[in-house]
Amino acid sequence: MAKSFDVVVIGAGTGGYVAAIRAAQLGKTVAVVEKQSALGGTCLIWGCIPTKALLEHAHALKVIQHAAEWGVTIPPGSPAINMPQVHARKDKIVGGLTRGVEFLFKKNKITWVKGTARLAGSGKVDVVEGDKQTLEAREIIIATGSAPRSVPSVTIDHTRIITSDEAIHLKEVPGSLVILGSGAVGVEFASIYRRFGSAVTIIELLPRLVPVEDEAVSAELEKSFKKQGITVMTGTKVTRATASSSGVAIEADTPDGKKSTINADVLLVATGRGPVTTGLGLEEAGITLERGYIKVDELYRTSVPGISAIGDVITLGTGVHPQLAHVSSMEGIITAERIAGQPVQPLNYDHVPGCTYCDPEIGSVGLTEARAKERGYDVRTGTFPFGVLGRAKMAGESEGFVKIVADKKYDEVLGVHMIGPRSTELVAEAVLALRLECTVEELIKTIHAHPTFSEAVGEAAHAAHGAAIHM
Amino acid sequence: MPTPVLMPQMGESIAEGTIVRWIKKVGDAVDRDEPLFEISTDKVDAEIPAPAAGVLTEIKVNEGETVAVNSVVATIGAASEISKQEPLGSAPPPAAPSLDSVVPRDVDAPPAKPAATPRKTNGRTAAKPSEDDSRKQRSSPLVRRIARDNDVDISQIHGSGLGGRVTKNDILEYIDSETGTGDSLGAEAPGAKAAGSGTRDAGLGNRTADPGSRVEIKPLSVMRKKIAEHMVMSRRTSAHVHSVFHVNFSTVERIRQQKKAEYEQLGTKLTYMAFIAKAVVSALRRFPIVNASLDGDNVIYKKDINLGIAVALESGLIVPVIKHADEKNLLGLSRAIADIATRARSKQLKPEEVHDGTFTITNPGQFGSQFGMPIINQPQVAILGVGTIEKRPIVVDDAIAIRTMAYLTLGYDHRLVDGATGDQFMSEVKQQLENFDAQ
Repeated sequence: MAKSFDVVVIGAGTGGYVAAIRAAQLGKTVAVVEKQSALGGTCLIWGCIPTKALLEHAHALKVIQHAAEWGVTIPPGSPAINMPQVHARKDKIVGGLTRGVEFLFKKNKITWVKGTARLAGSGKVDVVEGDKQTLEAREIIIATGSAPRSVPSVTIDHTRIITSDEAIHLKEVPGSLVILGSGAVGVEFASIYRRFGSAVTIIELLPRLVPVEDEAVSAELEKSFKKQGITVMTGTKVTRATASSSGVAIEADTPDGKKSTINADVLLVATGRGPVTTGLGLEEAGITLERGYIKVDELYRTSVPGISAIGDVITLGTGVHPQLAHVSSMEGIITAERIAGQPVQPLNYDHVPGCTYCDPEIGSVGLTEARAKERGYDVRTGTFPFGVLGRAKMAGESEGFVKIVADKKYDEVLGVHMIGPRSTELVAEAVLALRLECTVEELIKTIHAHPTFSEAVGEAAHAAHGAAIHM
Repeated sequence: MPTPVLMPQMGESIAEGTIVRWIKKVGDAVDRDEPLFEISTDKVDAEIPAPAAGVLTEIKVNEGETVAVNSVVATIGAASEISKQEPLGSAPPPAAPSLDSVVPRDVDAPPAKPAATPRKTNGRTAAKPSEDDSRKQRSSPLVRRIARDNDVDISQIHGSGLGGRVTKNDILEYIDSETGTGDSLGAEAPGAKAAGSGTRDAGLGNRTADPGSRVEIKPLSVMRKKIAEHMVMSRRTSAHVHSVFHVNFSTVERIRQQKKAEYEQLGTKLTYMAFIAKAVVSALRRFPIVNASLDGDNVIYKKDINLGIAVALESGLIVPVIKHADEKNLLGLSRAIADIATRARSKQLKPEEVHDGTFTITNPGQFGSQFGMPIINQPQVAILGVGTIEKRPIVVDDAIAIRTMAYLTLGYDHRLVDGATGDQFMSEVKQQLENFDAQ
């Protein structure tokens, strides 16, 4: 006999589990089908959480490496990273958080079905592996997420040529590491393994690092990476990668038209993530796809009534849909509330913050200067470097800046881009500013506590209106 | 210093008020905020508190008289002057000469003619909102900046953001529509025209009683007169049709019994009306045309659901409005209904609380009526009448069963709402009530 639920969610990643909890809070009976042995999906198991844990290890090492500057005496011998201990601590954090999701499921009386789901006609989901059964659902939410994807010229072998899924588990620090792709994943692993001691080369097809960020941020990161001894190759196309028992040979076309071969112990492919839809039976169910992603409307309805989709697996058909945990969870909440008949409003994707935890950190929201000009705004900008701030001097973190992009006509804050200490935290103020349609003048009139890193935001606003106070 | 007591401005659209009753007599001591007199305006009846403590030294406007707002209706002597007053018990005549000079004479009330005062407020409901109102409209720093640069009144713009906040897109679209077609829908307060469609003569009193016949003649109260005008105007304005649905309240009754104690603990009573309101809100969202108004050749869709709840008073009827009823849950609706009903009966409603309804529910069933055929509350386009809720025999699965049942009637304006829509709306209400989701 088929078990019947108000809502069946496929996938227990950040989008899926948040949607499930919200639906349960609104009184719906909910089941979640998950093929992994733990809840939490990419974010908790392979993505955000483990990588940021590794980055904290890298940061701890950085502070210890500079112990002498801080007046801390440590015994002779250079500080080194102990990978088994690093992984043990990281895995403990991941385990604690995935069990936390299990607890939330119990608390909200959500049924966790262990297995692989397949759509089985109107209002039905077959669980084809694991706890085989058929579930009946008044509403289905597909939240199957994404997986690392390579480029045609490179085949992943998971030992020498790896993805982020393996990069979080490397037993040893590679002597040399080449990273293909300089999005968030690429630059974060560059920071981690450079700090851990690898010789790191990062290769980007486009002319600059972190191509989605403001150009000024890209330039600052490249400057910092070079200072840290990371080799940066932008405008470079990898044509072939050959793995052998001793390492990987990477052939590439450089921007000056030459061919170049780089040898490394490990090649990390960080060129993006593709949708996970295999075996779901989407075509049979009549769901419209676009470039392999599930096409949804602005409230995440697929082409089939009663089936919604959220998170990394979707496209809204309006350009690149950000594959970020906080976007998926918001989409999950909106979808659950819509299904429960609550009033909902579409998400404004111009207000999605981006946080990249490389060293120095990047936090940004809204339009870059170039994008704002493309949209036809009469743009003015204000930039303030962290290095001037007393707070940054104390922390020994003098890199980076805050840059505000504003509309000259109505003084609207269009985007805020920061690179430097605590940027991933500082961006919160900017997200609220955009959400509440703040003007630069309001930011100027907002008191920024002293001494804090956040003073850079207030000063950048001053700069946008003419001149910063402390410059 | 003596304090003049003014006829209060009870709302932007209210030009005059009638003093129905003086609660204090000349010579009485009053505390600040103690009820002093009772007024009746075309919107609401209210008790007016004393603006200062002291002694009521003069009454300038007698009961039954109508005066313009801000007219001086009485004078209160300062507390320190109490000793100068005549001993309590012997009230001085209505014109105390000693304090007269400080009160401007030109605002004296005209001779009493309460039954003949023309309705001056017709057509004035679209008056420019005060600065206070525009500050209350939610917006953002950016919207205020755009408004300033373009000389736009934000209060005229419908807000699509959370809680009705006017967003950047709202104001830019508004400016576009202003400069584009020049014919802006949003600028006119909905219903302002409909309310003024020539209803000065309520159609009553055209047959006078024969002299000498055994009758007693009394002038209409202000409220009665307004109801009379409004009802006849509505009949003339709208093409009324009615649909009656028989609704099973057994599920609602079960939930009500289950939650009764819980709600009592929370300090409110869980009534059928709260369930009905919740179901209506949900149906209105599915059928926005039922939550609309007709204005000439335009349909005005109201984005907010403001539910009017008809409350019977001793001598009339008033329809206080639950604003943003769509943002309230069952508990919130229960509280709001109890609150406005209590305050309607104790004359504590503010004028703005009877404005801006988008749909009305009336409950003749409470007096035993099986169902009613209610008249639409203009400029709305529909009204729900709730018949008495009682156990009745009905057929369930080919057997006669006893169920808690009631007839619900939708009165609607066929100019805007067709029978199919009206009935679909009602079947949604019925469906919601019969399968009430008590989360």
